[in-house]
Amino acid sequence: MRRLIVIFAFFAACLAGAPAGAQEGHPLKGSWIGTWGPSKVHSNDILVILNWDGKVISGTINPGTDDIPIKNASLNPEGWVVHLEAEAKDKAGPINYVLDGKIEGLAFHNRSITGTWKSQRESGQFKIQRQ
Amino acid sequence: MKFIATATLALLLLAARPVAAHHALSAKFDDKKPMKLSGVVTLVDWRNPHAHVFINVQDPKGVLNWAVELESPIDLQEGGWRPDTLKPGDKVTVEGIVARDGSRQVWGNSVVLTATGRRVLNVDLSPPPPPLQARPTPRWPDKQPRLGPIPGGVQGYWAYPSSTVLMEANTNIKMDPWGLLANIADASKVAPMQPWALALYRSRQSRFLQDDPTYLNCKPPGGPRQFQLRYGVQFVEDRERQRIFVLIGGGNSNYRIIYTDGRTHAGQVGGDDDNPLYYGRAVAKWEGDALSVDTRGFNEDFWFTNGGLPHTEQLKLLEKFTRTDFDTLKYEVTIDDLGAYTRSWSSGWTLRWVAGEELPRHLCQENRP
Repeated sequence: MRRLIVIFAFFAACLAGAPAGAQEGHPLKGSWIGTWGPSKVHSNDILVILNWDGKVISGTINPGTDDIPIKNASLNPEGWVVHLEAEAKDKAGPINYVLDGKIEGLAFHNRSITGTWKSQRESGQFKIQRQ
Repeated sequence: MKFIATATLALLLLAARPVAAHHALSAKFDDKKPMKLSGVVTLVDWRNPHAHVFINVQDPKGVLNWAVELESPIDLQEGGWRPDTLKPGDKVTVEGIVARDGSRQVWGNSVVLTATGRRVLNVDLSPPPPPLQARPTPRWPDKQPRLGPIPGGVQGYWAYPSSTVLMEANTNIKMDPWGLLANIADASKVAPMQPWALALYRSRQSRFLQDDPTYLNCKPPGGPRQFQLRYGVQFVEDRERQRIFVLIGGGNSNYRIIYTDGRTHAGQVGGDDDNPLYYGRAVAKWEGDALSVDTRGFNEDFWFTNGGLPHTEQLKLLEKFTRTDFDTLKYEVTIDDLGAYTRSWSSGWTLRWVAGEELPRHLCQENRP
């Protein structure tokens, strides 16, 4: 029985590696999930939705009741450098977030963006992967 | 016993995965590195998507086994070759190009049997000679041109595109048949791309098109690419239901529907909804002898041309199909995608009528798309 489970686990793992739906258009478009935080140990989940209308990159960080709209975004194809600015509000006032990163694994459906972020109160690193 | 059955089932599951070996020739082999090998055949592996002949080659280091990759068994059999054309023990000389990754693999441009001097396992992919005299365009009783075969007449389909690559009209940029630029510095001349699209195109080119989802994952050939693949297309005109089916010989042998009933581009209620699609939503009308097709609503899951030009969901295609004579189909396309390009642009080529044959039934998973 144990051998049976091992075999199925192995082949299930192989199948899980099958290619998923790719997005071959603008490299930023889509849903990105990952973490951001002051350190790798103390990090929070993050969901970023990005879109491209032909002229402007728009999007939202953590869509929902406390979503953070992206106010300004750019992609420099020279090195695939990403810059995102977003503004949130809490009781203490507005918080401006700035994320700077770089696309890695451009050719793959699960490409990622890694980089740094900062606000008036905190800063740290982030990594998000396209879903 | 149960263990063997379980393992077999698991292997079958794996076998059902898309074959990843399909590739543009340049994605795997380096045409700038020719190689000549003489050796003895050890094994003939006659299976899709590509046949392989393994040979032992005497080297100063000892005997080395090389894999010689050839066209698919389907193409080889059409060329008159069989799995036993070569047998273990036969001495051969192979000329080809070597694998980019440095492994002992070579694409066999030529295989010659030493004993007879005869070239074997070669495939002629050139189109048949054109008819000596142009035959008139076949027409329906109302004089509208027919795009498909004549009912009750000889079967046929369209293939042998005069161009297998897409570039703006009146440009002449050197590419291989898979769309790989001879000089990557020419990338910006291919089409009026936005900076991100140009950078992505260059990136795909610099990776020798190895990420092409059509070859890698058997994704359907959407957009103009369906008229550039080797296995052609067939038109089935359903006049009663006012639609034209474009049967696609490449990819997974599926079809695209062009509606001629005056409908808009809206999705079907309870059907495909308004989701973006591989083939988009096509509506058409006849303008004189040309079928004018307006297609939009594409998704971004595929490369719409050989060579990796990017597109976005904003892509709109205006295609014109004109059967200029019995054996020639003129294809003209205007690409309107301001998500990826700075302006609309056009291109075009012709296809040849392949008379007396049905569209080849080759699935991508078992053969080249």
